[in-house]
Amino acid sequence: MIELDRVAKSFGEVRALRGVSFAVPDGQITGLLGPNGAGKTTALRIAYGVLRPDAGAARVDGIDLARDRLGAQRRLGVLPHAQGLYSRLTAREHVLYFGEMHGLSGAALRTRTDELVRLLGMEDFAERRAEGFSQGQRVKVALARALVHDPQNVVLDEPTNGLDVAATRQVRALLRDLRGQGRSILFSSHVMQEVSALCDRVVVIARGQVVAEGTPDDLRRQTGRDGLEDAFVAAIGSEEGLS
Amino acid sequence: MTWMRSFWVVFAKEVREGIRDRRALVAALFFPFLGPALLAVMLALVSQSSRRADEVGVDIPVAGRENAPNLAAFLEQGARLVDAPADPEAAVRRGEVDVVVVLPPEFAAALRAGRPAPVRVITDESRQQARPAAAAAERLLAAWARQTGAQRLVLRGIHPSVVEPLALERVDVSTPASRAAALLATIPFFLVMAVFTGGMPVAIDATAGERERQSLEPLFAAPLPRSALVLAKMASASVFSALALVETTVGFGLVPLALPPARIGFSMHLDPWVLLAILALCAPVVALACALMVTLAARARNFRAAQTTLSLLMLVPALPGMVLGLLSARPPPALYAVPFLGEQLVVSRLLRAETVEPARVALSSASTLLAAALVAMLAARTFERGQPLFDS
Repeated sequence: MIELDRVAKSFGEVRALRGVSFAVPDGQITGLLGPNGAGKTTALRIAYGVLRPDAGAARVDGIDLARDRLGAQRRLGVLPHAQGLYSRLTAREHVLYFGEMHGLSGAALRTRTDELVRLLGMEDFAERRAEGFSQGQRVKVALARALVHDPQNVVLDEPTNGLDVAATRQVRALLRDLRGQGRSILFSSHVMQEVSALCDRVVVIARGQVVAEGTPDDLRRQTGRDGLEDAFVAAIGSEEGLS
Repeated sequence: MTWMRSFWVVFAKEVREGIRDRRALVAALFFPFLGPALLAVMLALVSQSSRRADEVGVDIPVAGRENAPNLAAFLEQGARLVDAPADPEAAVRRGEVDVVVVLPPEFAAALRAGRPAPVRVITDESRQQARPAAAAAERLLAAWARQTGAQRLVLRGIHPSVVEPLALERVDVSTPASRAAALLATIPFFLVMAVFTGGMPVAIDATAGERERQSLEPLFAAPLPRSALVLAKMASASVFSALALVETTVGFGLVPLALPPARIGFSMHLDPWVLLAILALCAPVVALACALMVTLAARARNFRAAQTTLSLLMLVPALPGMVLGLLSARPPPALYAVPFLGEQLVVSRLLRAETVEPARVALSSASTLLAAALVAMLAARTFERGQPLFDS
């Protein structure tokens, strides 16, 4: 369970978030949907504790990030917007490194790493250094290191960005698996198809505010539109920044 | 997970990456031998030139030898006389010859009349190399003058010692060691350079490089105390910095073996104990240098900006020490409290086998360590606020 409670954040003059509140319940996939520049990445960064809100609070399983950042982050798996890898480490070493940072070690860590390599289909490049990895391979490594500690809560910033169809389907299958295990999953996207294919709940964000929230069906009802895309456009009040 | 374990996890990964980084390895493994190699070459050159002067004497160009055959003959006993160039002053100014002795036509007449006979010694005082030849010429001329004056007194029945109230004897203790002392003054400079260049690639890669590769955000999302993160990065840079320092020190220790005292004319105080003392002295320097580099590189916009900043940073502590070493002035004790400078002062005293006061060593090490701790604390605070990730 991830909660944002009246979170506000400004960068200089720019008010990126103006009191955003929403909850990401366990056993569901929640999509954070919004046009480019709406504040999605800022909201996620506050949720996984790399940015501090100016006002309001972010909580993970009830733990306030401002009070116990480490405690909250231990319960989080994060695929940030920036998915940089270390060119001189192998794919497997990336997963091991993040596992160690989460306090795993020894046989338990090795077993878990093998499991993720199989699960994400990384066998071909697990022992290769990350230099020259394709976008698909990079995302898989980033996903594996985000999930290495088996987190109850998963936050993903545009996880299928730049992936081909096969890889996209693999990521979606993985997210559904995680949902089946009762985890809470929050991911952001500006791609309608993605949201309608995956989400149990949608939080629509525009100009730093939540403008609509609910199941895709709720959204259609609220806006009186049939298609989710139309509903979304109606909710944010413009077509700007959509795809 | 404890703070220490977080520190070790990050530290081990940074060191492993550094070992796999060719640039970091070159900086830590090859550059450090540059200083000792340069010193050895310069020492060999200096000793060669001074030996040449001692063994084969100096050439003195003399103009107007025919005006004073007597004097010329005397000079010839102490030096090899060669023909002077057509325009002596221009030739000296251009550095073609070190000195020219001009014996003008009126020399003979003045000498016969018992008046002081004019002799001109043309040299360029600003040229270090010209000094031995000019000094030799003046020494020979003075000896001839003394001898001639003594003969005149004896002719008049006066004992020459009457006009020599002083028995002046000049004992030059500095030569040839002094010629090499200026070179030894470069050792502290190279030590500081090694400390910085050894740790620089890792310091940059672990901060500005990490941000440029966009791998800093996942790291900040991990449950790590940021102070452990930043200190681990400083510590991993210190490993490579210390490696470079050890190599440079050992390299300087090898110089006297390659150039035995008999060959270069003086002995260097670079025995194993001095080398160990140098390493111990420089340990706080490594800590401060790496703390500074990581802190500054974390604030740089990108990899290149970090490189530029750190290259400039490296000169700041290296230059004053070198200048002080060359001046060989007595530094006020307060200077020992200046990080980097204090260590260089102590090292240069060690190299000249001068006594080193323990209080000054303690002052120097304590102030450098204190500075390192302060810089590390500031860096940990900016990391805690997440600044390196978004400040750019």
